Amino acid sequence: MGHIQLNNICKSFGSTEVLKNIDLEIQDGEFLILIGPSGCGKSTLMNLIAGLEDITSGEIVIGGSDVSDKSPKDRDIAMVFQSYALYPTMSVGRNISFGLEMRKVPKAKREKIVAEVAELLQIDHLLDRKPGQLSGGQRQRVAMGRALARSPKAFLFDEPLSNLDAKLRVEMRTEIKKLHQRLGTTIVYVTHDQVEAMTLADRIAVLKDGVVQQLGTPYEIYNDPVNHFVADFMGSPGMNFVECVVFNDKLVIESASKSYQLAVPCAKAIKDSGLESVLLGIRPEMLTDPKPYDDSGFVQEVCFDVEVVEPMGADTVAIGKWSDTEVQVRLSPESGEVAGEGFTLQVDTSKSIIFDPRSGNRIR
Amino acid sequence: MNLKMLSGISLGRVAIYLILIVFALLYLAPLYVMLTTSLKDIEEIRSGNLLALPNDPTFYAWIKAWSSACTGSECNGLAPFFWNSVKIVVPAVLISTVVGAFNGYVLAKWKFKGSELLFGALLFGCFIPFQVILLPMAILLAKLGLANTVSGLVLVHVIYGVAFTTLFFRNYYVGIPTELVRAAQLDGAGFFNIFRHVFLPLSTPIFVVTIIWQFTQIWNDFLFGVVYSGPGTQPITVALNNLVNTSIGGKEYNVDMAAAIIAALPTLFVYVVAGKYFVRGLTAGAVKG
Repeated sequence: MGHIQLNNICKSFGSTEVLKNIDLEIQDGEFLILIGPSGCGKSTLMNLIAGLEDITSGEIVIGGSDVSDKSPKDRDIAMVFQSYALYPTMSVGRNISFGLEMRKVPKAKREKIVAEVAELLQIDHLLDRKPGQLSGGQRQRVAMGRALARSPKAFLFDEPLSNLDAKLRVEMRTEIKKLHQRLGTTIVYVTHDQVEAMTLADRIAVLKDGVVQQLGTPYEIYNDPVNHFVADFMGSPGMNFVECVVFNDKLVIESASKSYQLAVPCAKAIKDSGLESVLLGIRPEMLTDPKPYDDSGFVQEVCFDVEVVEPMGADTVAIGKWSDTEVQVRLSPESGEVAGEGFTLQVDTSKSIIFDPRSGNRIR
Repeated sequence: MNLKMLSGISLGRVAIYLILIVFALLYLAPLYVMLTTSLKDIEEIRSGNLLALPNDPTFYAWIKAWSSACTGSECNGLAPFFWNSVKIVVPAVLISTVVGAFNGYVLAKWKFKGSELLFGALLFGCFIPFQVILLPMAILLAKLGLANTVSGLVLVHVIYGVAFTTLFFRNYYVGIPTELVRAAQLDGAGFFNIFRHVFLPLSTPIFVVTIIWQFTQIWNDFLFGVVYSGPGTQPITVALNNLVNTSIGGKEYNVDMAAAIIAALPTLFVYVVAGKYFVRGLTAGAVKG
């Protein structure tokens, strides 16, 4: 029903190619997130799915039927916009039922649906107000209500939480997730916030310059990125990248004026590639206070000069240098208080990712 | 505050107020003279002081101006021409406003190939000196069989009014977020429904502005009126000119003055009543937040 297929989608504005050969299959009931930096084409792709823009080439299939030439209202899709786009002169109730009104749904049925949706989103006491009299969070719910009332095959969310303050954003994120679990409808969601992406998605599609870099579950995207861009994009604080010389199947780093050799899981692949220096990607949570001994062979202690600490509450991010490259590590708040020069840092390279420094591609 | 500061502030203030009062008096003096003259009788005008108040105010001149003054060879006063103007202005304002609204809607929110060029061409209409098109338009009206008719004048005013009204509406509608159009499209509304349910309710300020502007322009117009009307279809501006230029016996200044004020009353009235809405409408934003 809500299965969406994007086949070889290309979109150009004049001579500018914005989307290049996008192939995506979204399962029925899946929560797919499109994420990427500004200008990567995610909002454009969303508009193409909705039918608000024409496809330059390729086709879109929703629920088994080709909708590439159909107008937005015939695609059975509802959208929640970043700015909510509520009709300012209509009451909340009419805003929600407008789509039904346009489809000539009888008044009694319309009122019933509005009441149900309003109760679900806890906005039933606001039905007679105008959008201008609502807070940001309330407007957002009305926008969602408008989409829900249509019972479409799929929902499209275009950065719906960006206009909310931080705390409200977290609340609404959970609400959206609960809504998805309850309704089971396909959702395509655009955001540039990777925390939202990780917490909400069944799968994430990372876009850059109109090309899908990687499509995978949050776990896959986080732990198994295919290239430097995806690895860098996801994670906060981001992954550390240090260029290292290869020596005896190990990587050499300089820390606190001492030299260390780190073992990595894909040593064979590095050897096969014949590269003399590679880019080591290691996440801050793999660089910690010393922990009980681990004999996997990938855990090692190094001396580390802490330059700056950033207390985050639950843990503290400390910043220092390896081989003249800035590196971020995660310490307990207590260690963070006293960390300085000569700090003993535990390095766990079991999950480290290696890249070709020139192409940014993953070496496996 | 010491005395020196006090006198310093006052002096500047006094000077400003003096200048303002002088200019205000100069500006209002003609209106004053018109009003007082219209209420005097002829003897008093001929022998008296231009600025003196009427000794024995009378409405004789007003009644004559309205119903029996001579405008050329007819002596029916301004009344029939007042109604001519009404017959011209009302349809012309309504049609040019409605057409401008749709044009503005299309140009602002439904971009198509060549829409910017079209807008530029329409805009050109705002800047054409109307004298330039007098002859071609006369030929066109003759071909359409509308020469010397009220309908012909309405057509001319609509054509040249649409340039301005389109500009007003387009600039206003550009300020309405396009996402509203997209949301309405997804909701299943088409071109006319979106206009009716989304744009129209938001358009009150710009309708007020456009109607006031068009009313004033068309009511006060003399050029098109004098060229494209015939006997019996002349608007009040043309009739006023005729009235003032027709003097059987001596010039009746009081009647002329009264006639001029009668001709100006509707637009004066509109500004007194709706002037503040005009200004408000010009500065109104369509949608907040």
